[in-house]
Amino acid sequence: MLKIQNLHASVEDKDIIKGLNLEVNPGEVHAIMGPNGAGKSTLGYVLSGREGYEVTEGSVTFNESDLLEMEVEERARAGLFLAFQYPVEIPGVSNMEFMKESVNAMREERGLEPLTAAEFLKKAKEACKQVHLPLDFLKRGVNEGFSGGEKKRNEIMQMILAEPTLCILDESDSGLDVDALQVVADGVNSQRDGKRSFIVVTHYQRLLDYIKPDFVHILADGKIVKSGDASLALEVEKSGYAFLGKKYEEVDA
Amino acid sequence: MSQWLSQVIDEARQVTDYLEPVRQQAIAKLQQNGWPGRRNESWRFTPLSSLEKRQFQAPSAGNTPVSSVETITGLNAIELVFVNGELVTNLAALSLPEGLTITSLAPDNALQQQAIAELFGSIKPGHHVFGLVNDALCQQGVYVDVAAGAKIEPVIRIINQVDEDADTHNRILVRVGEGASVRVMEQGEGSVSSVSTLFAEYCIADNAHLEHYRMVMFSDSARHIGGCHFKLHNASSLNSTLVGYGSELSRLDVDVIHAGEHANAKLNAIYLLAEGELFDLHTTIEHAMPNGTTEENARGIVGDRARAVFNGRIHIHRDAQKTLAELNNRNLLLSRRALINTKPELEIYADDVKCAHGATVAEIEEKALYYLMTRGISRSKALVMLNFGFIQELVNQIPNKAISEWLLPKLSERFLMMEVK
Repeated sequence: MLKIQNLHASVEDKDIIKGLNLEVNPGEVHAIMGPNGAGKSTLGYVLSGREGYEVTEGSVTFNESDLLEMEVEERARAGLFLAFQYPVEIPGVSNMEFMKESVNAMREERGLEPLTAAEFLKKAKEACKQVHLPLDFLKRGVNEGFSGGEKKRNEIMQMILAEPTLCILDESDSGLDVDALQVVADGVNSQRDGKRSFIVVTHYQRLLDYIKPDFVHILADGKIVKSGDASLALEVEKSGYAFLGKKYEEVDA
Repeated sequence: MSQWLSQVIDEARQVTDYLEPVRQQAIAKLQQNGWPGRRNESWRFTPLSSLEKRQFQAPSAGNTPVSSVETITGLNAIELVFVNGELVTNLAALSLPEGLTITSLAPDNALQQQAIAELFGSIKPGHHVFGLVNDALCQQGVYVDVAAGAKIEPVIRIINQVDEDADTHNRILVRVGEGASVRVMEQGEGSVSSVSTLFAEYCIADNAHLEHYRMVMFSDSARHIGGCHFKLHNASSLNSTLVGYGSELSRLDVDVIHAGEHANAKLNAIYLLAEGELFDLHTTIEHAMPNGTTEENARGIVGDRARAVFNGRIHIHRDAQKTLAELNNRNLLLSRRALINTKPELEIYADDVKCAHGATVAEIEEKALYYLMTRGISRSKALVMLNFGFIQELVNQIPNKAISEWLLPKLSERFLMMEVK
């Protein structure tokens, strides 16, 4: 589904990703862990096509297409979804209007008729309930005045409605209490159907108690330096990133 | 004194008709005040250099081109068309609803001449230089009279087309009788190098209502300077929507005079400017009497190297107690080279009033744009969602559905053509 080969990327001429390889097959859940500054968020931005994140080397194939050749919105329509660590507040655009536009853009790509306002409202209400947000959040401006936890839940609601094939969750656990974490994890788990794949980017092992990964990768200095199964996450939890060397021990302390 | 203005004055001396007293007065003022230079506050940000050295050019006589007026679907309209300054609509052939009279500025009837002479130049303040030029030279225009109590359904749509390099001057005079209501739309268009002035004066009697539109849709090399001037009497009301595209030079002066108590004025202005265009909007609200309200919203988007000027003045006189006045100006700049000079001005001499004003200038939010695009929304759609809402809000407030439905796609298309840099 997703094949990243020798990816190098820079931001403002500073190299952040330095030769990253990763292959994700349908239905798999990959966790990417690593210390601050390892390039975890950058990976999500590069894959989604954010302006200013320049790929200098390597290739990314997504469902047999060259992902790097595609525009931001084309990647989304092709089934790539990025749940942001810090979702943007957009006053003046209602959550409802925004999500309807998004869902119908995805449907158009798949050759489906756009949903009517009533049809969409029904779906949106269900998704809203699923992530435990009051229904009036549909009417509010996108993320406007939402708490950190509400923003994360709003991201998961969008993910549920978008029905992507690959979800990248960028630190969806940061700043959440245990209850909110459970809601986010339940939302994600409800979307696991054996075909949809996930890349879960996180600093801590905590989220992985709720979303069980098939693979765990450690990202450091722009490369995956170690891969393993779920037990690798527990190892990190116990002894930190010390095994990466002194440099990371200090940064993470 | 500029070359052009001297020629204008020479031309004006040749005009002899029943409006002579006003014309003489205008000429005297023009000679006294001279050409407005850069130090003239009301022209500070709008250079007149391209006009200053212009050679006065009368429209070519006799070969009036056939006008092609874009229809507005679903609009019940009485259309009056000016082409290169000349009224080409046969007024006598119009079938008008009861209570509505429309005449040219050269009626043979002495009573009508008197009515026109009373209104001509009586509402438009004397300090507008180009208003004085129009006073001195303008011979083509319409006088609209709405009888007391008449409710006129159709929109009187006055179209001003300029398609040759000439100086054209037109006037619109409207008297809305007591308790009457009427809708008037003024629309100007043209892209060739030219100079046109169009000034409109509205006398709105007690309890009367005016729904008004001014669409300044000149583009490219056209130079247009105009004004809309309203006098509101007791408990009368005005709902006006102004739309400005930019061109080589495009300037609109709006004056609303609350001459009676309990009058209400609502003014919405929209401007969308691209390339090297310029649009300058000066509005002045005079609250001379108590208990009046004014709500003014001016909103614009400026792209490329375009420049907008907004000067919004509210003057509350000593006797105008219990006035409610709000003025708001919002702008969005799409490029680093785009420029807006905005200045709200409040002058308050009464102590029991409620007034608010504000002006904001914003830029495109790249982060929000990216966020919407990661949800599959196209860049152009995202731009409209993020940045066009505040314009759309004003379009949605237009009381006439046919006009708002005609205008919205025009504006959004214009917006999408602007490049974000």
